Amino acid sequence: MIAVPREDYRESLDELRADVESMGREVLDQLGRSLDALERDDRGLAREVIDGDERVNQQYLDLEADCIELIALQQPVASDLRFVAASFKILTDLERIGDLATNLARYALAGSSEVISESRLRGIGETASKQAEKALDAYVEADPEACRAIAERDDDLDASCQNASEAVVRELVASEPDRWDIERLLDDVSRLLLTVRDLERVGDHAVNIAARTLYMSDGDPELIY
Amino acid sequence: MSQTDTAETAETAETAETAATTVNRTDGQDVSTTAGETAEETRPEWTSYDAGGETKLAVDDLDVHYGDDHALKGVSMDIPEESVTALIGPSGCGKSTFLRCLNRMNDRIRAASVDGSVALDGEGIYQDGVDLVELRKRVGMVFQSPNPFPKSIRENVSYGPRKHGDIETGLLARLTGRAEPDREEALVERSLERAALWEEVSDRLDDNALGLSGGQQQRLCIARCLAVDPEVILMDEPASALDPIATSKIEDLIEDLARDYTVVVVTHSMQQAARVSDQTAVFLTGGELVEYDDTEKIFENPESQRVEDYVSGKFG
Repeated sequence: MIAVPREDYRESLDELRADVESMGREVLDQLGRSLDALERDDRGLAREVIDGDERVNQQYLDLEADCIELIALQQPVASDLRFVAASFKILTDLERIGDLATNLARYALAGSSEVISESRLRGIGETASKQAEKALDAYVEADPEACRAIAERDDDLDASCQNASEAVVRELVASEPDRWDIERLLDDVSRLLLTVRDLERVGDHAVNIAARTLYMSDGDPELIY
Repeated sequence: MSQTDTAETAETAETAETAATTVNRTDGQDVSTTAGETAEETRPEWTSYDAGGETKLAVDDLDVHYGDDHALKGVSMDIPEESVTALIGPSGCGKSTFLRCLNRMNDRIRAASVDGSVALDGEGIYQDGVDLVELRKRVGMVFQSPNPFPKSIRENVSYGPRKHGDIETGLLARLTGRAEPDREEALVERSLERAALWEEVSDRLDDNALGLSGGQQQRLCIARCLAVDPEVILMDEPASALDPIATSKIEDLIEDLARDYTVVVVTHSMQQAARVSDQTAVFLTGGELVEYDDTEKIFENPESQRVEDYVSGKFG
C-alpha cells in the first residue's frame, strides 16, 4: 500500500488553489489599473482593462469546469469538499470584481468631471481593492482571522461610500448650476454615483470571498448569512 | 434471516473473515503511521451523538477480544429506531465485529469474548436467559455475498416463518386471518414486494433461487429477512458484490426500509454511507469508535482529523 493514496487528486486540489489565486491576481490587477485609469484619465489604460475582461472570463469558465470535474471524478468530502465548494463560489465573486473593474474603466473612458471633485474616490478605491486583495490572501492562506477582519472592515467602506455619494450630491447643489450646466453635470453625477456603488460592491464581493473562505477553513458558515 | 440455519451457512465465511480482520489490522496500523497519523486523542463528545427520537439499540462500553486480540475497545453508541446507521472504517477497524455483536453472531466464534452491554428496547441481549432464536428473529441480518438456500424462491422466503410457526400463528396470520396456504402466499408476496423483488419474480416463484442474478439474490435474502417480521436489520456490506444498478436498487431499498425498521449497515463505500444513511459511525484502526454523528456532519465537517483523513482518502 502506498503512503499517500490519491496523489493525482491531491495535486489537482493544489493546482486548483494555485489557479484560483492566479485568476484572483489577474482580477486585482484589472481593478488596480481601472482605478489608475480613472484617476489619471488614461483612456488607453481603460481600453486595456476592458479588453482584458475576456481573458478573466475565460479563466473563470475553465476553473469552473475544473471544479465540476473534481466533484464528478473524485467526489471530494470533508475539508476537500469545503475547499472545492468554496473555490467554486469564490470564482464567481472574482469574475464579478473583474466585471466591476471593466465598469470603472468605462467610466474613465466617459471622461472626468469638470465641476465635481473626484478626490474622495481615490481613498474608497484603495480601501475596496485592499479588501479584495486581503480576501484573496485569506483564501490562499486559509486564514479564518483575516476573514473575520475583512467582514468587519466592510462597514467602514460602506460608510465611506455613503458619505461620498452624499458629498457628490451636495457638491452638485453647491455649484449652483444654471440650466445649461445641469445636463452636463447630471452625466458626471450619475457616473460618480455609479463609481461609488461599484467600489462598494467590490467590497461586498471581498466579504463573500472571506465568508466562503471561513466556511472552507473552519466549516463555519457564520459570515455567509 | 432464518437464524440458526443461516448462521451456520455464514459461519465458515465469518471465521475466514475474522482471520482476515486480524491480518488487516496490522497492515492498517502500518499504513496510518507512514501516512503521518498523529496520536490524536479521541474526545468523548465526538461519539456522544444523540439522534433524537427513540433509541432502538443502546450499546454501552462494548469490548470484544478474539483471543489476545482486542478487536473492539469500549464502544458506546445509541442507535435510533427507524433510521439508517452506517458503520464505516478501514479493514480491521472492528465495524463488522460491532455489527455481529448486535444480534450475538459473535457467540458462534469460540475465541470471541464480549464484555459490556447491548440493549434492545432497553433489555440487555447478553443477559442470561435470552432466547437467541427469538433475538435473531427480532434482529435480522443480511450478509455481504447473497446466500439464498438452494431451494425455490417461495421456500426461501417462507422458510423462516415456517420454522417459527408464524404461518399458523404469526403476525401476518393474525392480520390476514386467511387459510394457511393463502397466508403463506400473502407472506411471500408481501415480503418480496417489500424487498422490491416481487415484480421480477412473481411468475416464477417455484424456480430455484440460485438461478437469480446476484442483485436479485441479495434482495431475496432481504425478503427472507423481512418475512419473519424483524425490528432491526443488520447489513454487512450488502452491495459490495453487486453491479452499480443492483447496488442502487439495494440502496433505494435500504432508505425505504428505514421507514419501518432500524437499519444498521456496514459498508466500505463511503459514497454509499453518504447516500443512504442518516447517521454515520466511523471506526478506525484499533477497534475504536472515533466519531459518530449526522452523516452530513461526518462528510462535510468532521471533528476528528483522523476521520477527516479517512473519509477524504488521505489514508486507509
